[in-house]
Amino acid sequence: MAEMKTLIKIKPKTYAVGEIVKIDFMAMHPMESGMRKDKDTGAIIPAHYINEVNFLFNDKLLTKMITWESLSVNPVLTISLKVSGAGTLKVLAKDNKGQSVESTVAITPKG
Amino acid sequence: MERRSFLKGFGTAAACAALLPRMASAADEAKKVVGPNEMSIETAIAAITGGKPLTPSSKVSLSAPEIAENGAVVPVKVTVESPMTEKSYVKAIHVFATKNNNVRCANVYLTPANGEASFGTRIKLGGTQDVLAIAEMSDGTFLSGKQNVKVTIGGCG
Repeated sequence: MAEMKTLIKIKPKTYAVGEIVKIDFMAMHPMESGMRKDKDTGAIIPAHYINEVNFLFNDKLLTKMITWESLSVNPVLTISLKVSGAGTLKVLAKDNKGQSVESTVAITPKG
Repeated sequence: MERRSFLKGFGTAAACAALLPRMASAADEAKKVVGPNEMSIETAIAAITGGKPLTPSSKVSLSAPEIAENGAVVPVKVTVESPMTEKSYVKAIHVFATKNNNVRCANVYLTPANGEASFGTRIKLGGTQDVLAIAEMSDGTFLSGKQNVKVTIGGCG
């Protein structure tokens, strides 16, 4: 199985301490609902979706998400973060087949 | 002649009547694929609120397109007007697609460190329906906001 590819974007690109930034977490994932049929064989494609995403800032839980198959293919999850200082934002994502991925991004406020 | 045609007609009708329910149920079964996490909106709301009242509030703003051409990718954004301090904050935002097989889309548990109660994503909608957002406040109340999205092409096919 291909490894889950992820990307984290911080908007805006430059920010200061105390500002609220948006965090976009993107993952390459099929998000199969378990209700779709294979067009050739007619067999139901088993469900395969991201079911848990945890956002940690400096190893402290920022946001925990329980997600379901209703999210679109290659989901994008956006949350806010009030920048309290420099640090590392870690995102842990898991899917219902036990596959997990960890990605990090540095939070570097200006000024 | 009359009798014959009557009997003939009756016979066919009876055969049809006998066959129809079976045929219909077989067709329904073939058509209706139940997802692994099927859940109705009532059950899902009860699981979140635990029977507490749900108050529609203008503080919960849910923005989604009124008409979605493609149900497979419907952008949804939820923001809750609330302070985000240790004393008073939004504990969680729950997003539901009220007519999907599994109505649950995402349960987002926030902390005061978020600074602002907002959540955005893209969801699949099986057809025209309401998208519902429930904000779970730190004082134990539940606020809700919803929007109807018209879907031209379903996203669960």
